[in-house]
This record gives sequence, structure tokens and C-alpha cells, in this order.
Amino acid sequence: MNARAKPKHEPILSARGIVNRFGKQDVHNKLNLDVSPGEILGIAGGSGSGKSVLLKTLAGLHRPNAGEVVLNGKKIETIGHAERASLIGVLFQQGALFSSLSVAQNVMLPLREHTDLPANEQARIAAMKLELAGLAAESGLKFPSQLSGGMVKRAALARALALDPRILFLDEPTSDLDPLIASGVDALITQLNQSLGITVVIVTHDVTTLFGICSRIAVLVDKKITVDTLDHLMHSQHPWIREFLHGPRAQGAMTARKWSHGNR
Amino acid sequence: MSASRRRDPGRHSPTIAIKDDGGRFALEGALDIRTLREAANSLNAWQRERKSRTLDLRNLSSLDTPGALLLCDLQQHGIELTGIRNEHKSLLDLICGLERKPLPPQPAVSRGRQLVIELGKGADNAWRDALEIITFVGRAASAIGQAFSHLHSLRLPSISRHIDETGIHALPIVGLMAIMISVVIGYQGVAQLRPYGGEDFTINLVAVSMLREMGVLITAIMVAGRSGSAFTAEIGVMKSREEVDALNVMGMEPMELLVVPRLIALVITLPLLTLFADVMGLLGGAMISESLLHVAPLQYLERVRQAVDDSDLFVGLIKAPIFAFIIGVIGCMHGLRVRGSAESVGQQTTRAVVKSIFLVIVLDALFSILFDKLGL
Repeated sequence: MNARAKPKHEPILSARGIVNRFGKQDVHNKLNLDVSPGEILGIAGGSGSGKSVLLKTLAGLHRPNAGEVVLNGKKIETIGHAERASLIGVLFQQGALFSSLSVAQNVMLPLREHTDLPANEQARIAAMKLELAGLAAESGLKFPSQLSGGMVKRAALARALALDPRILFLDEPTSDLDPLIASGVDALITQLNQSLGITVVIVTHDVTTLFGICSRIAVLVDKKITVDTLDHLMHSQHPWIREFLHGPRAQGAMTARKWSHGNR
Repeated sequence: MSASRRRDPGRHSPTIAIKDDGGRFALEGALDIRTLREAANSLNAWQRERKSRTLDLRNLSSLDTPGALLLCDLQQHGIELTGIRNEHKSLLDLICGLERKPLPPQPAVSRGRQLVIELGKGADNAWRDALEIITFVGRAASAIGQAFSHLHSLRLPSISRHIDETGIHALPIVGLMAIMISVVIGYQGVAQLRPYGGEDFTINLVAVSMLREMGVLITAIMVAGRSGSAFTAEIGVMKSREEVDALNVMGMEPMELLVVPRLIALVITLPLLTLFADVMGLLGGAMISESLLHVAPLQYLERVRQAVDDSDLFVGLIKAPIFAFIIGVIGCMHGLRVRGSAESVGQQTTRAVVKSIFLVIVLDALFSILFDKLGL
């Protein structure tokens, strides 16, 4: 089941010749990216390198100036609402939970919109998703304003999983979390990837996440993207990548990775 | 391989069925969120017949988490699941390993009880609000006193910026509103007084009501909507981004820096805006007189002079600084009440506008009674 051992599949998501431009500034210049089914792809890059814009482009939330995104064999802008909802789940950086709805109602919203299941069945599924995301059923009654940072991420993850999407986009899933909770979220992502077979695309600054759970890493530098496994990227000659992967924080994350892999 | 178990959207809608193969029952097709209802119904019927205690899953082509939830429930009811495909195993293990506790029921409160609770909460809030307003008025007054006794803490650049924003920028809209209101009063006056042959008194009606009441009232309402809300939003955003805390830490008093300049600016501008509104209102009256009563502008002025007393102007203008103070206090107070999120800024802004307009009108009513008693 482990995605890392699998041979290459037809990509589930592929971006071709993406150009994103804001004013006169090019953020992405003819960028190509393939995501294989079942993998966990980490997208890294310096501040302002356009990681979040890339994530939005891949999820079909931002239309690039040029290029196309193909999801599951179809151009993303031609996919209907309901189908897109069942293909893509997004965990936004601040959670983006609807503040007027309780946590359970947040999770039930896509079920209510896209299925004809009776309300009690929706509630059962929502409770199960919350538990999958590591939240007690009781927290389903709470409102987003009553949740801590870690719980917001988990509730938002439960909502992103509501329709069993094939691809999960995570925007900085571990930012603003304390290290213990961040590790918990990392473990959760790995578990969901392995058990549900969900393809995961993570945008993150967190080197521990990148090194610990990602099967491949995409580094955004010079408006292009370099995608490879961590081991290969470690030997990259590009100065930014070298500094990023060999810097003091990366060293710490590397130690953590060896430690956790040794304990598995 | 894990991907293959997933549904393939875009194809025909999947089907699910229970096949009876000589006493061996097997679930065939796709068990996912789209077939869940159908599957649950047929599985329930099958269970009721109690023909078998085992269910074969060999021919289950796809399975998602709600489907797995259904199967785990069967297993809990003593049905043995056989022939589980490799690719479904870890999913089933994961879901069956969960506690699967249902959502706790919403604590139900009866309507009558709910009403009483709301009423109590409302009363409590109103009481707290009143206390908070009184406290804030006191703090603001003392901060203003402080500012005037130590002139260096009077922030003149800030005051002049707020005068510009709350006063000069409001001139066009206030002037236009005043003209419109006097047109409205004028038309009503002419229509109501004409049957008695007293339509000429429309001029008195417009002039007196503009100067005494309408000028100051519509200006105050406009300013509450324009500037009171802006105060709440500006201070609220600063509060939610911890800028107010930053001021505190650097030894600067938010009251002195944020509230006092705004209050002083508003107390200066609202009377001036009121005067402007009065003038524009009289101008609107002149237009009405010209077109409906055929009274020439110079004649109109003469009539206004006879109709209007100094006290009429005074009664209108004296209320302006007091309204200004209330609007400013409510706006700033709600700005400082913002907690955390951007949502809170919106809530507080709404409340500030509603509350300040409400208080302005209440005060205006009280003033009417007071001036009547004083014989003004």
C-alpha cells in the first residue's frame, strides 16, 4: 500500500506550461508538474516564490495566465462542480471553516449539497470523518470560534475529506501549531494517505513535514519547479536548494527523520 | 492499486446488489457514497431475512469511507465479512478501528424557555452595555481633560486628519441630504396646508423644522453611519491585529492616541456640518418656494427671517456637539471591544452604528421635552 514503493502511474494531476503573472512580475514561468496517484508531494520554496498561488492553480481556484491543469484526465475548468467536489479536497491555511455553522455542520455541508442521504446518515458520516481527523464526536457541536488552532486544522481536514476526495491539497497544514500537534497532523496525513489511498499535495515551509512524510518534494525556485525525491534533491547543485536542504533547520529535520524511520 | 478502488466520476452511476449464490451471499458492485442508500436498504432487508451470517466482498469493485462505515456496522452486528480484497483491507481496518460514536444530540431547549433565556440575556447585555457606556464616557472625558491640561498630549495632526475625514469629506453628502429632506417636508407641507389656504406657511414649516430638528438629526445620523462606523472599523482592525497592545507596550495610551483625537474632531465637525446642513436645507426650501409657491428667493428670505427665531438655530446647534460626543464614544468603544477575528470587527461596527443612531434619536426626544419645559 505504501506509495513510495509503487511504480510510476499515469499522473492523476498534471500541470503543463503554467504561467502566473501579477502585474509585470512573473511568478511562474512555463512550469510543469505531475502528481502520481497515491503519493504525498511536498511543495517547498522561499517566501513569495508563489507556492500558494501554485496550489490555488492546481486546485482550480486560480486561473493561470497560460498553461493548463489536467485533473483525472480532464481539463480542470471543464469539470463540473459536483464532480470537482468529489475529486478535490482543500485544507486552507486558516481552516476556512464557516463560522456560522458548527463543526459537524461544516463537515455535513458538502454531504448535504452533493448527496441525497438522510440527515441522520449524514450526521453519522460526519462523526466518522471527525474521528478520522482525530476529533472527538463532542467537538462536532462546537463552533469554529471555540476551537484551538490544532482543532481548527483537524476540523477543516474532516471537512476536506467529507466527500472522499482523490486529491487532498494542504496549505501549510502545520503552521501555527506547536511541534507535538504538528507531528500529530503529519502522522494523520500519512495514515490517511496509506489507508484511504488519497493523493496528497502539501505546500509547506515545515522541513520536518517535507522530510518526514513526503514521497517527493517539489522546490519552487526561479519561477520553475524541480521535483525529485529527497535523496536526489540532497545532491542538487542549485544554490537555493542546497542551502534549503543543508541549512540548520533542515539538519534538525534530517535527524528527526532518521530517528523516526529508525523507530518504525 | 489504492487508486483503483476509488470511484471513477464521469462514468455511469454505479450499482450495488446482493447476489445469492446458493446460500452464499455476496455484495457486488461499487459501495460508495452514491450507492450507500441503496446498499443500506437492501442490506437491512437481507439482515431481516436472516438467511446467512456471512457476506462475501470478493466482487466489491470499489469502497469508500461511508461504505466502509456501513460494513463495519454489519460486522458489529455479528455479520462475518469474507473475501475482503487486499485494497479494501486497510480502509476497513481503519474505519472499523474507530470508536464510531454518533454525534451527541443538540441540547434541546423548549421554545418558551429559549424565549425567556434570550430575554434575560438581552436585559443583562443592555445593563452591561449601559454600564460600559457610562464608564467609557467617564474615561473619555478624563482623557480629554488630560489632553487639554497637558497640551503636548493633544495630537493636533491626528485631530486635523480626522476633521478632514469626518467633516470635509462629508460635506457633499450632508448637503445633498439636507436639500432632499427640505424638499420632502416642503412637498408634504404644501399638500397638507393647501386645503386651508395656508400653503405659504410651508416656508415656516421647512425653516423651523430644518433649523430645530431635521438639520442636526440627519447630519448626526449621516455622521454616525459614515464616521462612527469608520471609528469602530479602524480601531477594531488595530485591536484585532494587536496594534493596540503594541501601543500599550510602548507606553502609549490608546485612549489618548486613538480615542481623544477622534472625539475632539467629531465634536468640532458635527456642529459645523449641522450649520452647513441648515443652510442647504434653507436653500432647498427656497427651491421649493420658487417652484411650488412662486415665492421669489428674496421674498423667501424675508419670510424665513420672520418665521425663525435665534433660539431655533441655537436649539439645533446646541445638540450637535452632544450627539457628536455620543457617536464618537460609541464608535470608539465598540472598536476597542473587538476580539480576535475580522468577523468581530463587522459585528461591532454594526452594533456601533445601530446603537449610536438609536441613542441620538432618544437624546433628541429628551431634548425636545427639555426645551419645551424651558420654553425655548
